[in-house]
Amino acid sequence: MKIEILYPEIANLFGDLANIKYIMASTPGCKVVGTDLNTKPAFLTEGDVDLVYMGTMTENNQIVAMEHLEPYKDEIRRAIESGQRFLMTGNAFEIFCNEIKDLDDMPINRFPERVNAETKTTQCLGIFDITVKRAVMHRLNSLYLGKYGDLDVVGFKSIFTYAEKNTDIPALFETTRGPGLDKAEGTGEGIRYKNFMATYLTGPLMVLNPKFMIRFLIECGGTNIKPPHMGAAMAAYEQRVEEFKRENLNYIYG
Amino acid sequence: MKFRFFIALIIAKLSIPALKITGHNATDFPGKVALKICPDFLKYVAKPKKIIAVTGTNGKTSTANLVIDMLKRFGVVTLNNSRGSNINSGISSALLNGVNIFNHEKYETAVLEMDERSAARLFPYVKPDYMIVTNLSRDSIMRNAHPEYIRWLLEKYVPKTTKLVLNADDLMSCYMLPNNERVYFGIEKLPTDTVRCYNLIDDLQICPKCDHKLKYEYRRYSNVGRAHCTNCDFGSPDYNYSAGNVDYENMKFTFRGPDFETELPIIDDRFVNLYNETALLTLLLQLGYSMDEIKDKLGTVEVVKTRFNHEVVGTMKVYNVLGKGLNAFAESRVYETIVDQPGDKELIMFINDLGLAAHWSENISWIYDTDFETLNVDSIKKIVVVGDRGLDYQLRMLFAGIPEEKIVHVMKMEDAIKQVDIVPNMNYYVLYGADPGSFALGNKQAKALAAMLREKTKEPAPVEQEAPEVPAEPTDGEEVRS
Repeated sequence: MKIEILYPEIANLFGDLANIKYIMASTPGCKVVGTDLNTKPAFLTEGDVDLVYMGTMTENNQIVAMEHLEPYKDEIRRAIESGQRFLMTGNAFEIFCNEIKDLDDMPINRFPERVNAETKTTQCLGIFDITVKRAVMHRLNSLYLGKYGDLDVVGFKSIFTYAEKNTDIPALFETTRGPGLDKAEGTGEGIRYKNFMATYLTGPLMVLNPKFMIRFLIECGGTNIKPPHMGAAMAAYEQRVEEFKRENLNYIYG
Repeated sequence: MKFRFFIALIIAKLSIPALKITGHNATDFPGKVALKICPDFLKYVAKPKKIIAVTGTNGKTSTANLVIDMLKRFGVVTLNNSRGSNINSGISSALLNGVNIFNHEKYETAVLEMDERSAARLFPYVKPDYMIVTNLSRDSIMRNAHPEYIRWLLEKYVPKTTKLVLNADDLMSCYMLPNNERVYFGIEKLPTDTVRCYNLIDDLQICPKCDHKLKYEYRRYSNVGRAHCTNCDFGSPDYNYSAGNVDYENMKFTFRGPDFETELPIIDDRFVNLYNETALLTLLLQLGYSMDEIKDKLGTVEVVKTRFNHEVVGTMKVYNVLGKGLNAFAESRVYETIVDQPGDKELIMFINDLGLAAHWSENISWIYDTDFETLNVDSIKKIVVVGDRGLDYQLRMLFAGIPEEKIVHVMKMEDAIKQVDIVPNMNYYVLYGADPGSFALGNKQAKALAAMLREKTKEPAPVEQEAPEVPAEPTDGEEVRS
């Protein structure tokens, strides 16, 4: 199995890279390549990448990533259509949306052509017809409990943004409790278009959800998957699922 | 509005003796009252002529205390918030104390530790003449997002007239507010510096001007060090004032400025505090004190040689260590400091945020940014973790390569200290978080552990030690002082 991490030098906030470390440790023979900003992504040049991963980044670095991916936009679109597998966590997937509209001030100091300070709008790659709304003075911190098929998925959101789908793109997770992609309670979380999977959940999603990771890796074509420390991982997972199912637990922080 | 302000001022002032009479120690309460009655209280309350602010992610409390202490040695009694919080209620309480009921200011100088996240509430009204920015690094994911966001907040709200005292070794903060007058401090290359980053947090890998890779000439930890761009002219600024020849054996260093070089005492042997001391010296020079005067006063400061509060039980020691739960960057520094200490160690970790646990569930993403790998050394013999979150810490430590047999998880807090092995010469570290619940629990358990060791080994009770000060004013489970 070959995994490409896109731009690990900037897309590495909130412990997100632990996802790939856990996948690596669980998948014998797994090869991970990190592609930096000044290199064309391997999934576009080598054709043997099983999973493209990108994690959370700063608002300025979203623009940096967009600028560096812009030349490959059409190739990326074709790769998605032909079934290339992606996993995006946190705000990474916003890069592939239509635009980011700031409801508060723009928290950025980079103003290439794609950024309009007057309308407080950032043009993204436009691969998915989704509008992102960002309010940097109103951070959303929440817990999340959802379903991936029959599996319980637990996680955390710590974000300034929410996203509104302008076309019907299926959700990645069916929400049991907590805010969905559009911030509303109970709506679907993330998107899944063909094999492009994205979620606003931040941090070590795979570590928090060992059963989800195993199923995800099987879907990626992984074989002989043996997560290390499975007993400890399952104990932490089961405890958190039980905790998140308590009716009296507040989901929104503050 | 002025009428409302004076009502707020009088009622808030009346609350001070009322708190004393009723035996309460809520130092922020008067400020909260004032803000409740008059949300613009900070705008109208009179302020000292000279305001010195200290902000940044880590080290601001220590630095502010150093500034207050040194100015006192120069005969300057400052208005300060050292006994209250560093958010708007604490600043309001401090400023309230500085005026009489006619809103006439009693102090000439204020030293205010200011929470960097509260910039929007503070800086429109409190305009510092000088501001030390200790550093900007990752902190609470929930509260502070990431350091670039905090820099943006400061750049948006800090007045253009404020003279900045900036850490040249921290590229995250040193180029903030480029049009403000500034002076740089730093610590010159140390023998222990490396080029490669050995920490999980490595926030400045690319040039902010051209996106090419930064090349580090040396690093202390994470992105702290000196770097330059491999493509353009971007790089760390030169020091105006720096610490060199750092000699912990003899607790001295060479302080260099544009036209002097002098040997000074290191006043606290925790390395991060040398940054704070260097920032202090740089500020004092900006305030017009001469190097000779400063050296003279610095010589009267008692040198702190104990890294952590501890209690001796025969050949054993019980340390109580304030960690920085939710703050991966600072917590990693704590682990480095512990591992650097001589001798075998057992750790009991109460770093779960109990403030959050009371009504929420802690977002544990931060532990995957924290260098638990540092704890994977032979000298650490056992680590005890507790509670629901203890399962998460246990898993994180296993990922860090710490042998399973060294990690003990117990659900009940009170069972944790029972797990230690009583071994001669052992050093026991009780770690706890900065939220008041965890803080109180950690201190209580450290005392209980020492008592248990004394009982089992029949060692005599120690001379009573001063208890560490309880941190003030949490913000919904999160502690904002650092």
